[in-house]
Amino acid sequence: MIFAGLPLSQVLAIAGAAGAAIVFLYLLKMRRRAVAVPFSRIWDRVLRDEDATSLISRLKRLLSLLLQLALLALLLLALGDPRLSAALVSGRSIVVLVDASASMQATDAAPTRLEAARRRVREMARGMSGSDRMLVAQMDAATTPLSTLTSDTTELLTAIDKVTPTEARADFPRALRFATDTLRGHEKAEIIVLSDGALGAAHDALGDVHVGDVKVSWVRLGERGDNAGITQFSVRRYPLDKSRYEVMIEVTNTHDQPKEIELSLLGDGDLVDVTKLRLGPGERLPRFYPNLSGASRTLEARLRNADGTRDDLPADDVAYALLPERRRVKVQAVSAGNTFLDAALLLDEYLEVKSVAPSAYPAQGRFDVTIFDGVAPKLAAGSGHALYLAPRGEHAPVKAGKELREFGFDAWEKKSPLLRWMVLDTIGVDEGFELVPAQGDRVVASSDDAGKKRAILVDGRRDGARFVALGFDPRRSDIVLRVAWPLLLLNVINELVEEDTRYISSFSTGEVWKIPAPSGASSVEIVGPDGAVAKVGVQEGRAAMLGQRAGVYRVRAPGVETAFAANLASVAESTISPAERVEVDGKPTAEPSAFTVGVRRELWLYLLAAAVGLSLVEWLTYHRRLTV
Amino acid sequence: MGLLDTILRRGARAPARAKDDELFDDEFQKKLDVLSLVSRRVFSGKSRAERRTKKSGSGVEFKDHRDYVEGDDLRYLDWSIYQRFGKLQTRLYEEEEDLSVYVLVDTSTSMGFGDGDKLRQAKRVAAALAYVALANLDRVGVLAVRDAVNRTMQPTRGKQRIFRVFEFLRPLAADGTTELGPALRAFAAQQKRRGLAVLVSDLYDPRGFEEGINALRYAKFEVLVIHLRDAREARPALHGDVRLYDCETGEEREVTVTPKVLARFAEAYAAYGDDVARFCKSKQVTYVAADVSTPFDELVLRVFRSGGFLR
Repeated sequence: MIFAGLPLSQVLAIAGAAGAAIVFLYLLKMRRRAVAVPFSRIWDRVLRDEDATSLISRLKRLLSLLLQLALLALLLLALGDPRLSAALVSGRSIVVLVDASASMQATDAAPTRLEAARRRVREMARGMSGSDRMLVAQMDAATTPLSTLTSDTTELLTAIDKVTPTEARADFPRALRFATDTLRGHEKAEIIVLSDGALGAAHDALGDVHVGDVKVSWVRLGERGDNAGITQFSVRRYPLDKSRYEVMIEVTNTHDQPKEIELSLLGDGDLVDVTKLRLGPGERLPRFYPNLSGASRTLEARLRNADGTRDDLPADDVAYALLPERRRVKVQAVSAGNTFLDAALLLDEYLEVKSVAPSAYPAQGRFDVTIFDGVAPKLAAGSGHALYLAPRGEHAPVKAGKELREFGFDAWEKKSPLLRWMVLDTIGVDEGFELVPAQGDRVVASSDDAGKKRAILVDGRRDGARFVALGFDPRRSDIVLRVAWPLLLLNVINELVEEDTRYISSFSTGEVWKIPAPSGASSVEIVGPDGAVAKVGVQEGRAAMLGQRAGVYRVRAPGVETAFAANLASVAESTISPAERVEVDGKPTAEPSAFTVGVRRELWLYLLAAAVGLSLVEWLTYHRRLTV
Repeated sequence: MGLLDTILRRGARAPARAKDDELFDDEFQKKLDVLSLVSRRVFSGKSRAERRTKKSGSGVEFKDHRDYVEGDDLRYLDWSIYQRFGKLQTRLYEEEEDLSVYVLVDTSTSMGFGDGDKLRQAKRVAAALAYVALANLDRVGVLAVRDAVNRTMQPTRGKQRIFRVFEFLRPLAADGTTELGPALRAFAAQQKRRGLAVLVSDLYDPRGFEEGINALRYAKFEVLVIHLRDAREARPALHGDVRLYDCETGEEREVTVTPKVLARFAEAYAAYGDDVARFCKSKQVTYVAADVSTPFDELVLRVFRSGGFLR
């Protein structure tokens, strides 16, 4: 026998003190209530008879004392929470991992697989023996323990109610590592996974998960896999006509039967397009919607069976995307006169260009980007970011190096957004010079000079502002005659003001999102699709958070509000057919050990019940005048 | 708080004073007249001083003989007996004189126990009997007794003196211990004229009720005991562990009151009344027991019917 509540020493100490107090009070002659009577002699006759029964009275009082001491003993024992040592040793330690990933919202197990899992865990909690202990944890992109390792059924039932569905993938290896760490050192340890089995391998960046002697059981949930889902949803604006956009949607039929589906696209809540598609078993069908217009901000894709019914997993039947914000970019062109530059800047109607002679620099006002054409004065306040064409002089961001003649682009960063959609290898340059980058600068393009690479396009940052420098005058090359010239200018401007014309994919649920934050904000408030508000700190211009719900999020900073979208977009989660087997540590999972509703072995409950029963008996006998 | 207490205390005292004021109100006095008429109708034809005493004297109605002793009036010698038996016998006659009626009201603390109903009832019964006696031209004295004769209204005569009786009775308050033996012995010693002694009491005498009654008997008084009882005292509202103390003597008893104990107490209370009745009967003392809830006029009629007051 051990005491799980108050230690035995404290129980004994309290028992001694309280018992002594009770006996003292018992021995203490309590002053009785004084009542006047008109003639006490009549009472004498009664009391003569009463004296004959005084022995019985004394015995009754002694019984009363014993009853009080028994009550005290029962209550103190209950406080001590005594447990049978043998029962404790043989008890199981169980970690229950409840899969709360998106696929658990499938409705094939009514009402959902997750609710079925909750029911099973409740049965387990109620069926634990008195010495079993259980911990309930939610398994999604993270692992969240919802209770302690306890035998308290109430705590466990409360924890089960806290399991909330997410629209993310389950990180099974992480959950297994958590459970293994929790159960380390426990005898009869068991991990029970309640899932549809769409968990992937028990392997992560740290390698295979080893559970050792811990028994891993799996409760299989779900019956079928009738589902098709949106597995990709991207959108981009056209770089030269930002009022128009292009959408790419990928739809996947994860069912083992062909499906006919209806795909709808909505822009700002209005229907843009409806398409009926026929997908074979397991088929992934990308679909492009080019040259769309009409929507200014939000796009939503919806999927349903062609006959109007819903499949088993509604969570992947809707996806969201947000178009990049369109705004006029203020550009200051500092040039003695450059027709090619002026012409290229006219191509984008969202550029507000102000031409300034070098001697008039800086012009009044604040600009997002300043283009220095053949000059490099000291960067004035309000100039924003800078594009330098053939910069020389002491205020140039990079030093001019070796003079170059008749050269071209021989090496460049192919994924650089500055050079997107450009063909560079055919461009010829008559003369220019090498740019000598400082530490931290990035060489975007270079030219070979007798086997040595000379930087001719450099990207970097000076005094908090970004710059891009080109090591030649464009007019001394044929780039101004090519499409590459306006593309280079617009790419650089877009990059400097962080306007992107790439395909904008929404964030994927279950990942850590690095959300661009408005400049200058140290923290932002992120309002989720369900209205929940989270305050997130900003580091290096990004707010990082683990996103688990699909939908449109709003990012609030003082004076600014932006938005972004998040989608499930996971073929693995859309594949909801329950797995046939789950393997952990190279071994298949087992059936969970038995849970049977039985007599609880927590003695304190019975002790407390006995104390209450004794009190009731005492109350009844007192009021019936049996013990007084 | 003090003001509140004062108000409450005044409020609490007011009904008691009101009850005292109403003790002998017009209604009461009307009832007295009725009682007086009843007494006259029952004993019609009786004239002044027709109520007989046991005292032998110079009346006209033969009572008994006794041996002649020196000094006897020779007019009362029965010469025919002397002629027939040769013995001197003196004739005794019942003396016809106005009866002295003494109403003895117990004013010990126990008479005021509870809400004081016993003392109020005692006062009204005493006043009623005094009125009837005065109306019958008897001499009436009223005395307040407890451990001694506390107050005395000297015997008086005449119906109009009833107001003196009222004035005497009205201020009487329950206080002190009951010791009827010494008190009634003192009364007997003070009153030279014997007569009817009406004792109105709850007979809660720690020394025993017998001593007081015997003191009157031994002093040749005709005794009428009116035993006032309060049924509420037989069923006290008690339970649990209590310390009982006698309201007169302060004697304490520790009792654990249970329904069984209360039942035994009720039996003991009834037995006490039976003891008194039995004692009075055995000593040929007229005994009337009544609960305080009995209307006083009904009680007086019971006294009449008992024959101890009207002869």
